[in-house]
Amino acid sequence: MAKNKVKIEVKDLNLWYGDKHALHGLNIELYKNKITALIGPSGCGKSTFLRCLNRMNDLITSVRVEGEVVIDGKNIYDKDVDEVSVRKRIGMVFQQPNPFPKSIYENVAYAPLKHGIVKKGSSCDELVEQSLRSAGIWNEVKDILKEPGTGLSGGQQQRLCIARTIAVKPDVILMDEPTSALDPISTEKIEALMLELKKEYTIITVTHNMQQAARIADMTAFFHLGDLIEYDETEKIFINPAQKKTEDYITGRFG
Amino acid sequence: MDKNSIFYDPSLKRRHFKSKLFKYFTLSSLVVSLLFLGIFLLDMVLKGSSAVQQTYIQVEVSYNQESIDNYRSIVDKKYLNLLSRAALREVPEQMQANPSLMNTKEVVWILADDQVDMYMKKYYYKIGEKDLSTLEELQKNGMVDKKFNTIFFTHGDSKTPEYSGILSAFIGTILTLAVTMLVAFPIGVATAVYLEEFSKQNWWSEFLEININNLAAIPSILFGLLGLAIYINLFGLPRSSALVGGLTLALMTLPIIVVSSRAALRSVPASIRQAGYALGLTKVQVVKDHVIPLAFPGIMTGNIIGLAHAMGETAPLIIVGMIAFIPDSPSSVMEAATVMPAQLFTWAGMPERAYIERTAAGILVLLSVLISLNSLAVYLRKKFEVKW
Repeated sequence: MAKNKVKIEVKDLNLWYGDKHALHGLNIELYKNKITALIGPSGCGKSTFLRCLNRMNDLITSVRVEGEVVIDGKNIYDKDVDEVSVRKRIGMVFQQPNPFPKSIYENVAYAPLKHGIVKKGSSCDELVEQSLRSAGIWNEVKDILKEPGTGLSGGQQQRLCIARTIAVKPDVILMDEPTSALDPISTEKIEALMLELKKEYTIITVTHNMQQAARIADMTAFFHLGDLIEYDETEKIFINPAQKKTEDYITGRFG
Repeated sequence: MDKNSIFYDPSLKRRHFKSKLFKYFTLSSLVVSLLFLGIFLLDMVLKGSSAVQQTYIQVEVSYNQESIDNYRSIVDKKYLNLLSRAALREVPEQMQANPSLMNTKEVVWILADDQVDMYMKKYYYKIGEKDLSTLEELQKNGMVDKKFNTIFFTHGDSKTPEYSGILSAFIGTILTLAVTMLVAFPIGVATAVYLEEFSKQNWWSEFLEININNLAAIPSILFGLLGLAIYINLFGLPRSSALVGGLTLALMTLPIIVVSSRAALRSVPASIRQAGYALGLTKVQVVKDHVIPLAFPGIMTGNIIGLAHAMGETAPLIIVGMIAFIPDSPSSVMEAATVMPAQLFTWAGMPERAYIERTAAGILVLLSVLISLNSLAVYLRKKFEVKW
């Protein structure tokens, strides 16, 4: 464990939806260049927790967050941190592929252009190609860049969304059940892609699929009813969990 | 069927009969509404079709100084009652415009009086015995004929029915609606964007929402009173003008635009907004570049429906004086103007039979403009619709 470098440190994180206390004082350290899987039954707070890491919960008016999420030494909930700049550094991929109803090229190029990462022209073309290559979809779309991104298959759309996310050069990529709407072959491609991407990025993914967590995750965190029950190396969680609840969930006794 | 079969269900016959009954009930409703529409359209076409033609009489016109001084000496006295006075009054102007005509005589087609027109169209007419025999003689010589009614499309209102047309009301409608759209479109859409994308859900926004919905259902004449009180009495804008009429209709159209634009914005999936925010885009970037383009067809449809609604509106415009007698087309929004429905309202109240066919013809013009507007709405929606 000592060789793991901490990327995100969550300290005593509490979250309320109105009066409902959804996350109860979470403490967790997420490691750089690792894939961390968040597992747990529906409604356990794993997606909510994921959305705390890039302040997406701020978009919901009834949500109140307390505690600290320290990324590279800076608490993203500090008053002087702008949520928009947080989301630029912490990218996110959603459960349902949600490309913009624009061309494939524009899907990738829009945000980097707005952020001023590149200017229109050859440097932008390069970034688009590089992002699509990193997302493993370049060969499939290089001839149809002007076609709408919504015309691609579900798996291709999801990889386009990943390309769009890495085009703004984030440090961390959050994935909220990125393969649950996809067929097994597309899922396999996304998983291979995630293993490739962790060399450059820190990946935190929510999944309902135990095998997926076992296949790709370095670390696994088990959530239950807003509490972090257990967090350890994936192998340990799946072979020799410390908590009874974790074992029950993994062996399929509930959830 | 065998009663022992697993598919045997004695209640099925009755249930199928009920669904059939339901189908025919809904179908008959459709037939009834189509019937109403058909009868209305047929009636308007039958009444209005005769207005397509107008009677002209061939007479000898003498162009001289005497005619300029008194239009009654332009033609032989016995034809005077058969011809349109409004048309005869135009003859001196023709002479002034074209001096070479002076001191010549020429046989030309002159617009006939509306009673002659009614006689030719076999409606009820009122012509003196002496005039009638003159007319019959002219007719025998082939000097009376019906020609295409260009006057209806090129002139404004007139006190002589044969000389009245829809043009000035049409121009008035266009000017009024232009003002309405210029005001209501930006304000309505911007309001919708604020309410849908920026305002927080609380009692205040709910209060606003209820009131905007209520405004859309307020009797339109109240907007006329409001327009009269604010624009004319308070701001001192010219009465009867397209500006005041347009601003009044803008008040009326605003809630419709706000409600429909909000619905269009709300129908944009939340996943698009989330995708934008997750890329670190600001609110403006997400709304302007991703949400509004998707909502645009719906916004346009709502606007055009609001526009069509405003176009058929009469009551509030009567209150602000747009029911005035307007023979010449207005050339700016500050001039006195009338609109098509108000013109129809005026004509419908006239005693002369000739105005009836003009009312029907005017309704047909109004309907065709409305249908073109609605087709435009459908076209725009199809053109800008984003495929998913």
